[in-house]
Amino acid sequence: MDIVVCVKTNPDLQMVRVKDRVAVTEAVPYKIGDLEKNALQAAVDLRAAAGGKVTALCLAVGNRKAAEDVKVALAMGADEAVVIDDPALAAPDQAAVATALAAAVKKIGACDLLLFGEGSTDNYSGQVGARVAEILGLPQIGYARKVEAVGGAVRCERSMDDMLETLEAPLPAVVTVVSEINEPTIPGLMQIMKAKSKPLQVWSLADLGLDAAQLAPTREIVSNLAEEQDRKHILFDGSAAEQADAFVNALIKEGVLGR
Amino acid sequence: MEQVECIVVGGGLAGLSAAYGLASAGAEVMVLERGDYSGAKNVTGGRLYVKPIRRFYPELWDEAPYERPVARELVTMMAGGAHTTVEIASDRFTAGQPQSYTVLRARLDQWLAEKVGEKGAMVVPNMKVDELLRKDGKVTGIRAGEDEIGAQVVIVAEGVLRLLSSKAGLTSEPQARHHAIGYKEVIELPAGVIEDRWRLNPGEGAAHLFMGDCTKGMMGGAFLYTNKESISLGMVVGMDDMRRRRDGSESWQLLDEFKELPQIKPLVAGGTVAEYSAHSIPEGGISQVPKLAGDGYVVAGDTAGLSLNALVTVRGMDFAIASGYFAAQAVLKAKEAGDFSAAGLASYEASLRDSFVLRDLETARSIPNVMENPRLFTHYPQAIGRLLESVYTIDDQPQAGIVKKAWRGVRRDFMSVATVKDAWSMRKI
Repeated sequence: MDIVVCVKTNPDLQMVRVKDRVAVTEAVPYKIGDLEKNALQAAVDLRAAAGGKVTALCLAVGNRKAAEDVKVALAMGADEAVVIDDPALAAPDQAAVATALAAAVKKIGACDLLLFGEGSTDNYSGQVGARVAEILGLPQIGYARKVEAVGGAVRCERSMDDMLETLEAPLPAVVTVVSEINEPTIPGLMQIMKAKSKPLQVWSLADLGLDAAQLAPTREIVSNLAEEQDRKHILFDGSAAEQADAFVNALIKEGVLGR
Repeated sequence: MEQVECIVVGGGLAGLSAAYGLASAGAEVMVLERGDYSGAKNVTGGRLYVKPIRRFYPELWDEAPYERPVARELVTMMAGGAHTTVEIASDRFTAGQPQSYTVLRARLDQWLAEKVGEKGAMVVPNMKVDELLRKDGKVTGIRAGEDEIGAQVVIVAEGVLRLLSSKAGLTSEPQARHHAIGYKEVIELPAGVIEDRWRLNPGEGAAHLFMGDCTKGMMGGAFLYTNKESISLGMVVGMDDMRRRRDGSESWQLLDEFKELPQIKPLVAGGTVAEYSAHSIPEGGISQVPKLAGDGYVVAGDTAGLSLNALVTVRGMDFAIASGYFAAQAVLKAKEAGDFSAAGLASYEASLRDSFVLRDLETARSIPNVMENPRLFTHYPQAIGRLLESVYTIDDQPQAGIVKKAWRGVRRDFMSVATVKDAWSMRKI
């Protein structure tokens, strides 16, 4: 079973600081998102069971070192990697991302299963897998916590809160996975060294037969800040017991308690 | 066992400098870095003296991501509420190619790692080396997790803690007595505020050291370096002194108290603490420099104890880069001769001895001993403050002449047996 795993490199969230309510991403290194690593691991596990080839497909999106960072996917076990890097894709919307990925999947050709993380660690829109499935006209299963190959189909299990749902889709299909699906392995030094000689291609939009105009964002995200909450700045004096009483009374007054 | 030509353990300045030199000459190099990226685990005050290293890799130093060229140097002696500051802003510090720049390591090291990668070396972050492999006394490679990789030479630039090299018997275990703990905050301030507070031309920077009460008599001092849009404010305290202190104060409390001083508060006012970090610093001087090379290995940077605290100038990064450069040259020579034994790598130590690195450490041989003199951090800052304060003080009594006031101070605080002895012990620093 030939599998394409779509991975995105995100700014390392641990390294992002917030200054004046804006994320400072300058000098912040990028890395492949955790959920994408789950998808990669799922692909490597499926290959172990069903054979075939695993290709990591990465959209650079503003990361000028994407071709370097994607090597982690190769070290984790992908057989080859493709990076789509084009200045026109510096800040694409989800539609543009899906269009580019779908074109790349077509160009890769052999693809029985297309895997995604359920969302990316930065924007977490969770749209791209579904959009690519629509563009390619493939069946899709979202939020899988278990994936196995069954004959010419893929069987997935997903949690619906009070029950587990088992779904099957004929191949080729698109599946997005959740973090419970596995524990991604951390590649050892030998795997990292071997990754160096695995095939890695960088494609521009022209290579995919697309032009920038087709991918111009149709919507602009003006702001995605969380709502700011004013603090009450109430200080309580007195003994611990008095403070506790005053605190509880204040909570009741605010309607937080005793509704 | 998989084989590569050279393995560099540690992707800090020493290791990256070595890797850059080796990769530039076409050697096969693999750099193994424990942190998420180069610079992730490094802490510096920090200022890099670029002048000493310009001749190594001259193409690098004009484009390095510095913060500010240091145009103004200040040293403050503080005791009993009096701060006496000596300040120099010289045209020569910044004319043409400035002699030193403030830096932030996360940026500087990542940039250098990228340059090393461009030269064809493989830089592997997130890779903890567990062991240096030895066979018949020769270092033959490394073990990382379950993977063993052989190398003709291992450049050990693992940093100050010597976790691997001391275990392998290449260096001694670090002792508290020869180390200091450095810790600092990066406090964000707008560029204009920094330039106003330190009276700097746009883009220029200041380096400010403090001695005396800030460490409560312990060996060490405080430092302040201006970055582009932040200041690095921290302290360095002798580890032994820190360990032996009786008042129960913690290192961070010293820094908090320092920031609250009326003379310091206006310098940090309005700033936001963006980062906090700490690190140990080798301060043993030349007597603690280990054997620098042996069969199949060389030792560079902090691991080799190459740092120098000379009270008003603090160096380490330039030594690290220089030692990396010389390590690379020695390895290339060894490669040409096909001899990676101690003899084949001997040119490493020879070139360090010929260069400013070991010469400056030799010149400063007596400094670590002098620094153990507590009067340096108690009596003298106080005496200087008292002397000048008396000169500047007017009260309701008839005043003595300035020279008489000063002379009184000199006689009281600088003419005892102890101070004469101190002057004698300091004659060589």
